[in-house]
Amino acid sequence: MPVMKKTGRIRHCLARSTTFACMGLLLGLSLAALTLRARAADAPAASSAPNAAQAAAVGAQVEAALAAADQGSSAPGAAPAGPASAAATSSAPTAAPGAADTRSLDEDTQQLKKDVVDLNRDLFVLEEELLFPANTQVAVYISMDVGEFFALDAVTLKIDNKEVTNYLYTPREVDALLKGGVQRLYLGNLKVGNHELVAFFSGKGPDNRDYRRGASLKFDKSIGAKYLELKIEDRQRKMQPEFEIKDWE
Amino acid sequence: MLTVLCLAASAQGFALLGQSAPDFALRSFSGTNVRLSEDRGDVVVLTFWGSQCGVCRRQLDLLDHSFTTYRSAGLHMYGVSVDDDAAHARQFVAAHPLGLMLLEDPAKDVARLYQIDNLPTTVLIDRGGIVRHVYRDFGPRDEALYLSQLRELLNE
Repeated sequence: MPVMKKTGRIRHCLARSTTFACMGLLLGLSLAALTLRARAADAPAASSAPNAAQAAAVGAQVEAALAAADQGSSAPGAAPAGPASAAATSSAPTAAPGAADTRSLDEDTQQLKKDVVDLNRDLFVLEEELLFPANTQVAVYISMDVGEFFALDAVTLKIDNKEVTNYLYTPREVDALLKGGVQRLYLGNLKVGNHELVAFFSGKGPDNRDYRRGASLKFDKSIGAKYLELKIEDRQRKMQPEFEIKDWE
Repeated sequence: MLTVLCLAASAQGFALLGQSAPDFALRSFSGTNVRLSEDRGDVVVLTFWGSQCGVCRRQLDLLDHSFTTYRSAGLHMYGVSVDDDAAHARQFVAAHPLGLMLLEDPAKDVARLYQIDNLPTTVLIDRGGIVRHVYRDFGPRDEALYLSQLRELLNE
């Protein structure tokens, strides 16, 4: 009885090892076929066409051997099919590389474009950080609400009685502001201390008359960036536009 | 051929050729504001003129004719006045109704930006915002060349 058990175990072990060996062989052959196919596809068409054809043929032979191994058929039966299948499959790599090359080229181009955009953004951020460090930075934004009593034409900005920007608005830009857009009107540097911002708004007021108004704000610039917002709003009660400068802490 | 050579020679000194056209915003005589960058994607013809310049007047008529023909193909045309006296320019605009938009440049900032040293000077900007052709002393004989180059840009 113990002898029988031992024999059974040995048989079982042999069977398992054979299975593992077969699986390993199949895996190796598959990898070899894939590598050869990839080489055949990557090889330049003009210079190494014979090499590519050879590799494709070898790949096809390996595939045929694999198929034979899968079917459990004998080697002599599969052998004659090798060259024929090689001839049949040799045309496939010539058609496939063209499409694959185009796809990979397109992917490369897209990746390059993305890299350029990312690089441009990084450079832009870096440039801003260098030119306008957070300690001295002052940014002025503008926003509009409704705009029933005022059609914006231009904004002139003065900081400490010095004109820093004079911006003309096109109808498209006014539309964008009315749709909720916020525009950065000015970005500059200021020393720590007290400063005064004066904004002049010109355009068409109620009854389509020429309209010019000013708004001012005295603010304290401390260490850290300063954000100010020019707000144009409609005052329904007075039927007039209202101009306000808001200090964002 | 001679005309082409003359134009090529005169345009050689123009530093902005092949460069990105500088952006600007100007007020038109009709009251609306114009920003060049908003016309990106279309062909833009920019001509610098003065009300006291006889050649400029003739040129504006020629350009206006081409503008009415090609505006539907994506053409924008602006005439930038570099008059010292804005009243003269306004009188001219009132007396010569044109289809192309005439803009005021009282401080001559845009003329400086485009390095204008001669009137009239006409600049052709392609759909990508690049200065492609420049004409100085534009006359009736240059019209054929201008139209062929304009059509070329519109077809791009």
